Amino acid sequence: MVRWAERAALPVAVAATLATMAVVFYYPVGTVLAEAVLVAGRPTAGPILDVLTDPFYTGVAHHLFANPLGVPGGILDWIASGFSAVSVGLFGFTAYQAGLSTVASVALGLPGAYVLARFEFRGLRTLRSLTILPFVLPSIMVAVGFVAMFGRTGLLNDFLGLFGVGPVNVLFTLPAIIIAHAFYNAPLVTRLVTTAWESVDRRQVESARAMGASPFQAFRDVVVPTLLPALLTAAVLTFIFTFMSFPIVLALGGLELATVEVWIYARVQSLDMTEAAALATIETALSLGLTYLYLRYEARQRSASGAGRSLPRTALVSGWKTLKDPLRLALLGYGLVVTLVFVGPLLSLLIESVTTPNGEFTTAYYEFLFAQQAATAVGTTRPLPAIVNSLVFGAGSLLLAVPMGIVVAVVATRGGRGSRVGEALLSAPLAVSGVIVGLGLLQTAVFGTVLFGYRFTAAGPLAIVFAHAAAAYPFVTRNVAPALGSLNSRFRDAARSLGASRLRALIEIELPLIAAAVIAGAAFAFAISIGEFDSTVLLAEGLDSYTMPVALERYIGNRSLGPNLGPATAMGTVLLFITGLSFVAIDRLGGRWEP
Amino acid sequence: MTGVALNDISVAFDGVPALQNVSLSVDESEFFTLVGPSGCGKTTLLRTIAGFEEPEAGTVEIGENVAGVPPEDRNVGVVFQDYALFPHMTVRENVAYGLRYRRPPEGVDAEERAENLLDLVDMGDMSDRNPEELSGGQQQRIALARALAPRPNVLLLDEPLSALDARLRERLRVVIRDIQQELSITTIYVTHDQEEALAISDRVAVINDGQVEQVGLPERIYREPATRFVAEFVGDNNLLDGEVVSTDPPRVDVTTRSTNGGKRTGHGKSTGDGETVISVPQLPAGADRVTLSIRPEAITLGNGTAPVALSATVDAAEFMGDAYRVHCAWQGYSLLVRAAASEAPSGAITLGFDPTDVTVLENG
Repeated sequence: MVRWAERAALPVAVAATLATMAVVFYYPVGTVLAEAVLVAGRPTAGPILDVLTDPFYTGVAHHLFANPLGVPGGILDWIASGFSAVSVGLFGFTAYQAGLSTVASVALGLPGAYVLARFEFRGLRTLRSLTILPFVLPSIMVAVGFVAMFGRTGLLNDFLGLFGVGPVNVLFTLPAIIIAHAFYNAPLVTRLVTTAWESVDRRQVESARAMGASPFQAFRDVVVPTLLPALLTAAVLTFIFTFMSFPIVLALGGLELATVEVWIYARVQSLDMTEAAALATIETALSLGLTYLYLRYEARQRSASGAGRSLPRTALVSGWKTLKDPLRLALLGYGLVVTLVFVGPLLSLLIESVTTPNGEFTTAYYEFLFAQQAATAVGTTRPLPAIVNSLVFGAGSLLLAVPMGIVVAVVATRGGRGSRVGEALLSAPLAVSGVIVGLGLLQTAVFGTVLFGYRFTAAGPLAIVFAHAAAAYPFVTRNVAPALGSLNSRFRDAARSLGASRLRALIEIELPLIAAAVIAGAAFAFAISIGEFDSTVLLAEGLDSYTMPVALERYIGNRSLGPNLGPATAMGTVLLFITGLSFVAIDRLGGRWEP
Repeated sequence: MTGVALNDISVAFDGVPALQNVSLSVDESEFFTLVGPSGCGKTTLLRTIAGFEEPEAGTVEIGENVAGVPPEDRNVGVVFQDYALFPHMTVRENVAYGLRYRRPPEGVDAEERAENLLDLVDMGDMSDRNPEELSGGQQQRIALARALAPRPNVLLLDEPLSALDARLRERLRVVIRDIQQELSITTIYVTHDQEEALAISDRVAVINDGQVEQVGLPERIYREPATRFVAEFVGDNNLLDGEVVSTDPPRVDVTTRSTNGGKRTGHGKSTGDGETVISVPQLPAGADRVTLSIRPEAITLGNGTAPVALSATVDAAEFMGDAYRVHCAWQGYSLLVRAAASEAPSGAITLGFDPTDVTVLENG
């Protein structure tokens, strides 16, 4: 009986994972998308066509959908009018900012890959592992950091003020959004390209040189073909992420610089669900297409066997000569830019949390947090419940995401058709924005779903845990699957020949041997849950189940201490501290983060 | 104890056949070896018996038909090529692992059973070590102890010695054979080393290209190879192509090989020295073209009075310690002769042998 149950355990776990995915992801998202194509239960293209034909959304492209036959004439008129300015609409702007963000991320990230792959210096390893950090930092906190750095009373203007310059206003401009996106995605470019660069076998370059290629030709013929797929993968991923970016744009751009994602959120808040659903459907279709592109590139990239030695490194610093070498001077300049973009916002967050707008030391903001905690007014956002909620939701997400992630990893490493299904299951959450998942869960789980005549509802907190688990479990899989795949399968065979069932072999032999990867995946999942904002902000609305990032966002608007970011930076510092701990856990256990 | 029977087993990976219609029967307490070149399917066959692969067709019987029985319920012990000792457990924990699922004999606890097995393989003082601290030979012994601890009905060994150096390999194969005899456990042993196979087995099956070429006692496999593949794979051998010239008495004309590697039949009598007709003990029924197999040790050097005498020249002689391995050129063939001479032969020599030492194989 026990053995029978054990044998059934894995198939049951797979079924349970699929069922959970259906409840927390596919059904809610499907409901949102269905709203765009179903009106009163009848299929219709109306809402989507409304969006596509609205110049506000699609700009000049609306003619394509409104009057396709008039397009050629329209183009001729446009040429005749001397190429007048064209409106690109909300989708056009979203793609435009994503494109610029991608270019900026590549520009900021690529030299980093060069430094990390080709130079030798003290702190190389630390710097390498620090490239994971931005990914686990909550985006709303980073946004506050950027405000603290570039805002009217921010660190940058304080600094410029010393020289009597300024103030400059970067906030609520496109460059602020793009720099913040580069903060997130440049490390992705750096990391993927560094890995590819290190996989170049030096013997290949040496063979090319021996056959008469110049250093440049050898680079072009041997190194570039290896780097290019990694670079394209990173660029496509960056485009997907920044196309769907939400908190950064919300906090740094507001509605004037709204992207599709922010606009969906705004439509939901004004209870225009049909239009939100139509927007969500179009956005999801676009991002699914891009994700497909990404997966194609990624598959092409998996080739490096790890055999052979990587290219030799040169010392980055060589005494005073360092300052005479133009290459090294350029890298020094690059280092300054990197410091400004990456260290600046976090440092500003810490400094602004203890400084008044006049530049004096203050503890008022932390006192504000305590005061909020003591306040009795209904609707007060208190810091302690936010921290407790974040930790509880984080733990709850782990309970769901870790088993789910392991089950998908087991399916994915088994090979065959099942593994491709696993891959698809895995990639879907990547292509659907958090706001849409949150919206779907709001409509299905929180408002309730009628099934067999009963209305099933899940309380807000449970729905939040669902949403976090759906966002976090791919990170568990991404860590566990490669470790499981490279583990000698004879260990499992040996255990089974000694009488252990498949489940026992997994629990007693395989998982203990890859414990580091499991824990790193769990730490990732925890960090994702702690920082999740997109769906939480929808699900926590009007509830006491707000988390730290949501509290942070509410404090941004809190003007009780004057028009400054003080309370938000204080809360941000607390959040930074907690996510920093997750990062240390991930780094110590060698986590992977390439999605 | 039980024997193992394989009935018409076929296994394929992604449509590519790995084993085709393999039938074998291993007796109770027998030491049975599967030998063949790498990629021939011998490991796949072992994994099919253990339950790691499901056959597309055919049945495996370990006492009874075990179709659909998962590996954990087949009660077989497996020793893997790379040992697969669990690195997160001590030696004792490794050996005791199987006893979590299959109880040790009455009155013996798992700990005690593990220690007994470690004593059996002479590793009693290693029980608190981690497997990774041990040498390859020691790990191999522990893997054997671990496989035997739950008292399996059948012991399967997949190239257990191939990661070890030659001397250790010879010593450990004696250990394995002794333990097998002591426990009289049905054992199936996989190796690519034909010498090892002949040395320790009760019976041997030669596998090639997913099919069984020959099954039999080691002596029979060596002396009476059933196919050209077996004749070539097992031991050193000389193979001559021939054409049947008469069946009564059985006589074969050896085909001359042109030096550029092509073949020319011995019919060209006009060329003078081309024809060598040998009287053989017997012919396969209905055969037209055949292969003659003569072991190097059946040929003598410089014996002009032998029933068959060939005029050859020495190409090279390798000193082996107790004898020379002499490579001779004759009619486009390179013939190998084992000569217990005191100094290396050279130049023109006569090769003599008795036709009764010749095995005639059907060409196919």
